[in-house]
Amino acid sequence: MSGLKDRLATLRRQAGIAPPPLMPTQDVRSKLARLLGTRDRSSRRTLDAPVGHAIAPGVYATEQAWASDVFDDIRLPWIDETFARERLVCFDTETTGLSGGVGTKAFMIGWATWRGGQIVARQLYLTAMSGEDAMLREFAASLPNDPVFVSYNGKSYDAPLLKCRYRINRQQHPFDGPLHIDLLHPVRRRYRGVWENCKLKTIERELLGIVRHDDLPGAEAPAAWRDFLQGRSSRNLGRVADHNRQDVLTLTRLLDRLRQVDSC
Amino acid sequence: MNDVAIRAAQRADLDTRTADGLAQRLVAKYGDRVAGYFHLPSTPANYAAFPDELSDATRAALRLRGIEQLYRHQRDAFDAVRAGKNVVVVTPTASGKSLCYHLPVIEAVRASHAKSLYLFPTKALAQDQVADLLELNKAGELGVRCFTFDGDTPADARQAIRVHGDIVVSNPDMLHHAILPHHTKWAQFFENLRYIVIDELHTYRGVFGSHLANVLRRLKRICAFYNSSPQFILCSATIGNPQEHAEAIIGETVHAITESGAPRGERHVMLWNPPVINPDLGMRASARSQTSRIARHAIRAKLKTIVFAQSRLMVEVLTKYLKDVFDHDPHNRERIRAYRGGYLPTERRQTERALRAGEIDGVVSTSALELGVDVGSLDVAILNGYPGSIAATWQRLGRAGRRQRPSLGILVATSQALDQYIVRHPEFFEHASPETARIAPDQLLILLDHIRCAAFELPFSSGEFFGMHRVDDFLDVLAESGVLHREENRWDWIADSYPAQAVSLRSVADGNFVVVDRTDGRQQIIAEVDYSSAALTLYEGAIYMVQSTPYQVETLDWEGRKAFVTRTTVDYFTDSIDFTNLKVLETFDGAKAGQGVCHHGEVHVVRRVSGYKKIRFYSHENIGYGPVKLPDQELQTSAVWWRLDQATLERTFASRQDALDGFLGAAYVLHTAAAVAVMADARDLRKAVGSGDAAHFASQDQNGRGQWRDGDGNLADPRNEKTFTPTVYLYDNYPGGIGQSEPLFARAPRLVENALALIESCDCRFGCPGCVGPVLAYDESEERSAKAKAHAVLSLLA
Repeated sequence: MSGLKDRLATLRRQAGIAPPPLMPTQDVRSKLARLLGTRDRSSRRTLDAPVGHAIAPGVYATEQAWASDVFDDIRLPWIDETFARERLVCFDTETTGLSGGVGTKAFMIGWATWRGGQIVARQLYLTAMSGEDAMLREFAASLPNDPVFVSYNGKSYDAPLLKCRYRINRQQHPFDGPLHIDLLHPVRRRYRGVWENCKLKTIERELLGIVRHDDLPGAEAPAAWRDFLQGRSSRNLGRVADHNRQDVLTLTRLLDRLRQVDSC
Repeated sequence: MNDVAIRAAQRADLDTRTADGLAQRLVAKYGDRVAGYFHLPSTPANYAAFPDELSDATRAALRLRGIEQLYRHQRDAFDAVRAGKNVVVVTPTASGKSLCYHLPVIEAVRASHAKSLYLFPTKALAQDQVADLLELNKAGELGVRCFTFDGDTPADARQAIRVHGDIVVSNPDMLHHAILPHHTKWAQFFENLRYIVIDELHTYRGVFGSHLANVLRRLKRICAFYNSSPQFILCSATIGNPQEHAEAIIGETVHAITESGAPRGERHVMLWNPPVINPDLGMRASARSQTSRIARHAIRAKLKTIVFAQSRLMVEVLTKYLKDVFDHDPHNRERIRAYRGGYLPTERRQTERALRAGEIDGVVSTSALELGVDVGSLDVAILNGYPGSIAATWQRLGRAGRRQRPSLGILVATSQALDQYIVRHPEFFEHASPETARIAPDQLLILLDHIRCAAFELPFSSGEFFGMHRVDDFLDVLAESGVLHREENRWDWIADSYPAQAVSLRSVADGNFVVVDRTDGRQQIIAEVDYSSAALTLYEGAIYMVQSTPYQVETLDWEGRKAFVTRTTVDYFTDSIDFTNLKVLETFDGAKAGQGVCHHGEVHVVRRVSGYKKIRFYSHENIGYGPVKLPDQELQTSAVWWRLDQATLERTFASRQDALDGFLGAAYVLHTAAAVAVMADARDLRKAVGSGDAAHFASQDQNGRGQWRDGDGNLADPRNEKTFTPTVYLYDNYPGGIGQSEPLFARAPRLVENALALIESCDCRFGCPGCVGPVLAYDESEERSAKAKAHAVLSLLA
């Protein structure tokens, strides 16, 4: 096997292709292992999932609930329709990268719904690639009747990505019929130029006064998940879950904040 | 010529405003230069009735376009496609081949909303074909929705095309990096995909063809996922092995239709050998001067003329020479344009439009215009040098006279051996069957690239096949590099990258250089150069020309893949000098070759550009040298080689120097024989003479005498070496090889025989570019001439 590998490495160098950069997430131990020529056993280790409980092979779930003082029907200034609160699904995904294309996967789906005077935040995440089919099935099954999706840039990012994953797993995706309210657009219309940008993090700080502690930047999520999947560390995956949960909770509050804005 | 003579000549040109008139005039004036002259009479059409199952609407649309019946090959194609076969149609330019696929496709759209994918090698060709189809569609109100999908397609139109397009017209590059990696967006399209049309099949040879075969493996894998298994309709210009090549490209059996039913206009074809100016040295006037002379005659006679040059540099030089004659007054309409790869697309489109509209009179092009890009009706095609294959020669000659007017095609030979072989054997040219196209779809690097892309598109299972290969070993390599994750028997893509982006179908390597013009503080990209030719054309000090305007390379940023240039007004151009050293890594097979041995195997090649020559325009005298410091180009590839043992050499030759000269001559002529035999692109097959352990290699001094150099390039005296076993190598010029050395090894005895025959039949006395290579200094005895020494080496190998 190493014959083919060496040969390919040589050919690639001659073809003018730069050697691939070392994986930034590689820890010192595996680097040393490489230097010493020993096999990196750490990558064979299976780590315990950082949060939640298994609901299917390769899938973990978390659920948390908070009392909510709003439960009325909702009407948004820029949409000519009133929705029962139980229909709303404020959701966000964490993905294996931003490169695009069918090779990018959602490894975590988080969503918040209103149920009996509570806001319930649920998350599903993969602890093995083989769990994807079950995770997607569970998400579709958990949606309320006649759902209305609420997201931040989800119309062009999260929903198409999930549609792609449903197709690859030969499942019906839940996105075609339901309404999808993307809060990025009204926020842009109303607040463009007011703060430095319209990122969710900026908006939640300026508009809702939410300040996050020890937040893992979204860009580090893919590496955090790979570190977990390949048995290097589960620490950052836990932080990804916190980050994702905060995102969907922010959505629930942003929605109610935007009801009160006149000119969206 | 004095003024009166020039005016007389110009008047005569004006009297010859047809291609056959020009042909007669050239024969009358330059009869001794016309080494071969073929007159191909016009051929009548062979028609067939519309097939019974052709729908009334389609019949009506055809009739509205003036088509009352089909050509035989169009009908045969329709019937074979309807019978469920994959079909390849091989017919000449302008024979109505596109109807061969439009008809079954249109019928399938109308009958069952089946989808089709058309692939053309370039965007320009795709646009031409859509225009064609749209006219038919409009004429008959057929309601077929046909769209191009390429890099220029606006983002907001893409979704509509994916969902509503009955026919999507694209190219292999788009399929590779935009469609397959987003296949879920195309789910409906793939579920209903019935036909895949691949036009200009003959262009998919070598590296490009090997990539395409793998892109199609990926495509079929995606189709299988969506439960469709499309049928292929392929079209090709004339090649020797259309069926075999089509089958290699798509990996399935294919039915071939090779008889054209289309009529053809009368054609005149000439082989032109520049006059001899030094008989002893076999030196002839340059092809360049002859080409430019013939082009001047043709353009003055108001004949639309295309000139094909072998290199981008030669395009620029010839354009300059013609512009100096026809475009010297900037107030007048521009009559001459250059066309080549490396120009920006907008500039190329503009030249195509001007050609179609008849606004320019002459175009100088590389092979870029050899394909079916619609440039309207041209009268004269002049080839400055043999393009390296019979098929490409006919393809280029065919650019003249598409619309059944008499046409003239002229092949002007250079002093290169292959060219001289062709013009001295006109009967060979006339009767040669066109070459076979070859691909190596299982070339390791190419295969790994596409398995990586395929793994991104859908997960792999252990034991799965990709083409002929079980993928497991490749998946292991990819997993170790961190892009795949294995669970049990399934391999998933987990990296945050888009692998198709890093794989260019046009070469093994990706890493094009951009040429940045910094004149007067500008920062403008004016051209792109591929990795393999960057070292030869963009060294610091090089003159790089665009539309015959010279730019000088000031800085070359090798890592950043950028060359910074400024406008200049020098009166010379530059040509690089390079050395090759070679080492055998592994021998696959060997056989006796006369008193020597012949092997094929894997070699390591080091190529170094050591400097460049400055060559003055027009006089072509060498006016100086410059040094070049660039990293060595390394290449691991396959080769075939011949060797004689030291004792035999010492018995046969008076000195080691003589043996070395003999080997260099033998290498030259074997390279010619090999290029003719396997019909390789001369660029793809290279020759070298060395000791085989990388200890020594041979180069030639300015007089054509052999030099023995050590591994660092320093001169060594062959007399002082303990062992001296020069070896002739022919190697594939691609990392990993592209599969030429094995067929060469298989016919090695024939190659040596042909090489000997080539020397024996050459009219020169001491050796010339037509046989053993250019010889300047020579012994005034025929026994010790380069020709005799090369003959001696080859006789020992026969």
